[in-house]
Amino acid sequence: MEVIKLENISKRFGTNEVLQKINLTVNKSEVVVIMGPSGSGKSTLLRCMTFLAEPNSGVVRIGQTEVKAGEKMKGERKRLIRDIRQNTGFVFQQFNLFPHKTAIENVMEGPLIIRKMPKEKARAFAYSLLEKVGLSERCDHYPSQLSGGQQQRVAIARALSMEPMVMLYDEPTSALDPELVREVLQVMKNLAKEGMTMVVVTHEMGFAREVADRVLFMADGVIVEEGTSHEIFNSPKEERTKRFLQ
Amino acid sequence: MSLLAESLPPLLTATLMTIVLAVVSMLIALVLGFFTALARISKIKVLKAIASVYVSIFRGTPLLVQIFVIYYGLPQIDIQLEPIPSGILALSLNAGAYLSESFRAALLSVDRGQHEAAVSLGMTYGQMMRRIIIPQSIRIAIPTMSNTYIILIKDTSLVSVITVTELLQMSSLIIAKTFEPLTIYLIAAAIYWVVITFFTVLLDRMEKRTSKHLVQ
Repeated sequence: MEVIKLENISKRFGTNEVLQKINLTVNKSEVVVIMGPSGSGKSTLLRCMTFLAEPNSGVVRIGQTEVKAGEKMKGERKRLIRDIRQNTGFVFQQFNLFPHKTAIENVMEGPLIIRKMPKEKARAFAYSLLEKVGLSERCDHYPSQLSGGQQQRVAIARALSMEPMVMLYDEPTSALDPELVREVLQVMKNLAKEGMTMVVVTHEMGFAREVADRVLFMADGVIVEEGTSHEIFNSPKEERTKRFLQ
Repeated sequence: MSLLAESLPPLLTATLMTIVLAVVSMLIALVLGFFTALARISKIKVLKAIASVYVSIFRGTPLLVQIFVIYYGLPQIDIQLEPIPSGILALSLNAGAYLSESFRAALLSVDRGQHEAAVSLGMTYGQMMRRIIIPQSIRIAIPTMSNTYIILIKDTSLVSVITVTELLQMSSLIIAKTFEPLTIYLIAAAIYWVVITFFTVLLDRMEKRTSKHLVQ
């Protein structure tokens, strides 16, 4: 079953073509890792999937919801985009936790405000998600009292709180000290094992080797090459990929 | 000593008027400033324009002129307000314009990532503002808000020119009888200082309380 389907997604910043007619399908329970040099458009592609960046043209489909790019932000379209966002968990490089809320309040926010869950139920659910990322005993800490790795794990729990169909990770470990990277990757691996559909923009080759069903290599706004991690890392066909991996 | 005993009770009564003027204007200015700030950052052009014109007029003209226009000018077009409502209206409109600027800056200073995190969960604009952006901007706005409020308390003295018997007006009345300007004006100054310090401490506490998440 297709969870994500992108058709001809293009994005320009001024005259700079960041994405050129990207087509991509991600199936249920698939883990797709996107790699590529900086400026290749991989983060923009991820952001276009939930309209954090508005594509200039193309069609995005997440689950059953389809939205055409480049149209006016009107009532019905806004609702569809919200629908897409509620069905996708987004994890940011800079975590973006709500600093005025404790860990558990961060995770409760979506269920409480968007899904209108009763407070006690939302709290219990948020607690179970924090348990899942190994932080239940930190639930009453503010983000400023947590390490980067812990913050990112809370952010993953927050993204899971909407029970999304797919998780999108935008360089989730790039802002972390090396010794904190592992705990975040471990949480992501566990989710992959449970069958979560994931798209991960990352430079972590070890993670890609171990978890990815498919690796995409992007450069200059196009998908240059795709295949299993074994194919991409051990026998890349394209010159650009070879150069990047050296 | 009898000067003090005689002048203090009426001065304190007048201080009550000063505080009423200040507090009522603060509350109105708070609401006015808040919605003006929201209008100024909104995408609706008409709202934005109205808010900008309002802010520009009330920051760009002297408060004393605003008081005169409201109290002496408006009756000419059949809007007659008593001195106290006139004073409150002028003070609120004036402080509201300044507050809206603090609030606007505070709202804009909340990190872009906070907007993205909120809408990524699937929040509407209203939910995002109410739950995420506004609570964080309050803490940022308090220091400048504090400043505006201190000025507002001092500016209540200008309302004396339209016969409102607040602290300064009462001081002048007492001096007319006792011919003791130094003592009476010093007492008045001391009272202003106490009132302003009280409000400053109050807002400082509020700032600390809204910053508790930043303490390690």
